[in-house]
Amino acid sequence: MTQRMKHIAEDIDDTLFTFAEYNQSASEEIGYSNYSYWQSTIQVFFKNKVAVFLLMVIVLLLAFTFIQPLLPNQKLPTKIYNDPVTNMQYRNVAPNSEFWFGTNSIGQDLWSRIWSGTRTSLIIGFMVGLFEVIVGIVIGAMWGYMRKLDRVITEIYNVWNNIPTTIVLILLTYIMRPGIFTLIFAMSITSWLSMTLLVRNLIVILRDREYNLASRCLGTPIRRIITKNLVPYLVSVIMLRMALAIPTAIGLEVFLTYIGLGLPVDIPSLGNLVNEGRLLMMSESLRYQLFFPAIVISLITIAFYVMGNAFADAADPRNHV
Amino acid sequence: MLKYILKRIFRSFITLFAVTTIVFMLMRLMPEEGYFGDSYDKLDEIQREAILEGMGLRDPMHIQLIHFYKGLIKGDLGTSITYRPKVPVTEILAKKIPYSLWLGLSSILIAIIFGLWMGISMAQHKDRLMDGVGTFYIVFIRAVPSAVYYLFLQLYLTSWLKLPILFDVDEKASFFLPLLSMSLVSLAGYAMWMRRYMVDELNKDYIRLAKAKGLRQKEIMFKHVMRNAFVPMAQYLPTSILFAISGSLYIESLYSIPGIGSLLVESIQRQDNPLVQALVLIYAAISIFGLLMGDVLMAFFDPRIKFETQGGGR
Amino acid sequence: MNSDEMIKQDEKHLPDQIKKAMPILTIENLVVKFNLRGRSLSAIREASLSLYKGESLAIVGESGSGKSVFTKSLMGLLDANGWVDSGTIQYKTYDLAQFKKEKDWLKIRGKEIAMVFQDPMTSLNPLKTIGKQVREAVVKHQGLKGREATNAVYDILENVGIDAPRKRYNQYPFEFSGGMRQRVVIAIAVACKPEILICDEPTTALDVTIQAQIMELIGELQSKYGLTVIYITHDLGVVAHVADRVAVMYAGDIVEIGLSEEIFYDPRHPYTSALLASLPQLGIKGEPLYAIKGTPPNLFKKVEGDAFAFRNEKALKIDFVKRPPYFKISETHYAKTWLMDERAPKVDKPKIIELLNERSAK
Repeated sequence: MTQRMKHIAEDIDDTLFTFAEYNQSASEEIGYSNYSYWQSTIQVFFKNKVAVFLLMVIVLLLAFTFIQPLLPNQKLPTKIYNDPVTNMQYRNVAPNSEFWFGTNSIGQDLWSRIWSGTRTSLIIGFMVGLFEVIVGIVIGAMWGYMRKLDRVITEIYNVWNNIPTTIVLILLTYIMRPGIFTLIFAMSITSWLSMTLLVRNLIVILRDREYNLASRCLGTPIRRIITKNLVPYLVSVIMLRMALAIPTAIGLEVFLTYIGLGLPVDIPSLGNLVNEGRLLMMSESLRYQLFFPAIVISLITIAFYVMGNAFADAADPRNHV
Repeated sequence: MLKYILKRIFRSFITLFAVTTIVFMLMRLMPEEGYFGDSYDKLDEIQREAILEGMGLRDPMHIQLIHFYKGLIKGDLGTSITYRPKVPVTEILAKKIPYSLWLGLSSILIAIIFGLWMGISMAQHKDRLMDGVGTFYIVFIRAVPSAVYYLFLQLYLTSWLKLPILFDVDEKASFFLPLLSMSLVSLAGYAMWMRRYMVDELNKDYIRLAKAKGLRQKEIMFKHVMRNAFVPMAQYLPTSILFAISGSLYIESLYSIPGIGSLLVESIQRQDNPLVQALVLIYAAISIFGLLMGDVLMAFFDPRIKFETQGGGR
Repeated sequence: MNSDEMIKQDEKHLPDQIKKAMPILTIENLVVKFNLRGRSLSAIREASLSLYKGESLAIVGESGSGKSVFTKSLMGLLDANGWVDSGTIQYKTYDLAQFKKEKDWLKIRGKEIAMVFQDPMTSLNPLKTIGKQVREAVVKHQGLKGREATNAVYDILENVGIDAPRKRYNQYPFEFSGGMRQRVVIAIAVACKPEILICDEPTTALDVTIQAQIMELIGELQSKYGLTVIYITHDLGVVAHVADRVAVMYAGDIVEIGLSEEIFYDPRHPYTSALLASLPQLGIKGEPLYAIKGTPPNLFKKVEGDAFAFRNEKALKIDFVKRPPYFKISETHYAKTWLMDERAPKVDKPKIIELLNERSAK
């Protein structure tokens, strides 16, 4: 090593061996990368190719679902179509150039019915999700933040939580008249609780975290604490719940329709379509009536599920490495 | 530990009581047609009122409740109206419960065994093929409404595997599809939770010490991680019981299994209120029991819980 | 330092093993990098060190200096996004820097090198009895089974100062206090019968009153089992009592290394002096405490010259240009600073150091 030392030492200009000026600001330069929560979230999300692909699928699907009626040559979902020649209903016509998804047993166009049903299901899911989020945040925040309310609500929660949601759902839909509002109401009542608990737990954990106490000590206004410290955590939770609300609502709707507690038959819904298709599934030529709704349902539910989870993962600060 | 279990059981009873009361009260809102069946249209207003009064349905709520609990203690859950007219509900239930019980318990067992195994494999082979395949399975099962694939399973597997479509007690082969279908959802659940918790545990400090000790990855997995992950697994048990309940509603109808699941579906379709009420209560009781089991198992696996004096909210 | 050199220190009593001067572990120009958000960070920048059998070596440095990463790389415990980029770690016949597979590391972990971690609260499996956890090490490394293994565990537990070992065997970590848990962790490490014991800030998470006990325990075990110990710490007070030699780490490099007295009483690198000067015990009543201004450099960027130059009020121009090599101050004392070059201007010892010398002379 001594050899090497000599070697280095020889090439150096002697004038460098004088004192340099001390620069205090240079000494404090940290140079950490600029971490922006949202930027990192988006970065991580977009790295997930599958999720991005599905996001595009969803966007296209959503757009199409609502644009579809405005396109030319679209049939009406509840209208019964007759063959102009025979004047008989176009029953159980296999998919052809006129009826892209075929018709059902009373002559209605399956293509438009499916899209109409999708619209209905999406709206139901969205409304339920919205309700969940609003009620969940409001009550959850109060529950978590105000210690006095905590005990009371916790006790109520403990009892309410033990009531199985499926049962309540069945009960409510059995009692109330079938309809879109009934479904939205029943699903909202049964789902808001878990969201509320989630929000409450988050608030409780975050409220007492040292950095929030520090912020309060420093006099940071509550509004800023909420937006800078709490919201990033809430966002991933909220996005996940809203994204999952759609497949959950569709699932519940199919379930209830199967038992006979879903939407009335005259409103096309994905649940109704599956049910109708089910009756005919044994016949090979009529199986398409089950296939199409099944494929559309699978596509929508998988897409929302995966994308919701992917976003929640991306929004989790621990994954921002 | 015993104290904890007793406390928990007591709590469950309170909850059961509260739930039963609430359900009962809610059920007073049931459509009145459900008490008449076919005769509804044939009777006029006065006759209907008379019948309802005779059933005690016009009494004030607290009287109705007392009546109900009195009957409950005696084992009387009312009489079926439209399903099997004049037959006591308990009699109908007694014949059907064994089927559902068998189906439910077996499917949960299968789900636990295969689900845990799958979750462990996925965690062990994280980000490799097994993990990918498993994830695909889990995503599919959790996203798509079960009604959809239950139908296709019945449709295709019956012809491919030459299985009978409908359930028959005497034909063992007919057991396979219903069991398989029932276990799918819970299997996915157990696999997902197991994998998640194993992965979480693997990031903890004590695993690093185990590594530093010189333990092989496999040893760490089995002796440390797996055992710890059973604790939150026990928490999933109540959910899988719930899935078994809702699943039974489908499966029993699809395969014509004479259990209480298909009974509920039928009694809803026929608007047989006493039957619907009794079934709802039974299912509520089962779920509460499931939650209790989950908590007890958790305490069994996690010694820290035994020492807590606070019961802890759920 | 090569194996031919003899140490001529007659002031302090050195363990006999050092006189034999055989390094059992030689690290040369180690470079360890991490991948963070797509960029790479050099956590260890060509650090070199030799470890002699039977000694107590302390590695001191502030948070972020790389002390933990340094020792983790000796056992293959780096996080998944880190790797050894270059350099050698010579231990017996192995070059640990070349180890890639678990199979290789299993030859080292526990058996040759064992580690005591910083936080006893999280180091132990909360759902396993501590007896079983110690037993794992015994079974694996001492080749004992059944009754024999259990008895060995009782022995070790007693040796680390846990009384009623039979009862304690079946207890869970949450039934132990922090200090006791750390004893268990030490028991596990020692049960592996290693050559080298690395203690990563073993007392930082403990009460001051327990700290001394734990340090004493480690010292006892060292003599009893013939261990070579590496202490990682930021607390110079701890170091003063137990270390034979001290290595000072800054920004991923070992900037000064020497015998304990040499470092404390004759520090040559400006960072070492600054570190010592910041000891609150050296504060003079009425005067502000000394603190090193500035912060350690950003290791995402390549460091030109001496990493400490920016914070050094007495830096030379060359400190910003070229990285100093090791300059020899004595057979056992080396420092990477251009101030040791013959062309460098003479610098007085900082007032604080003189103070330290005076105080200890009393």
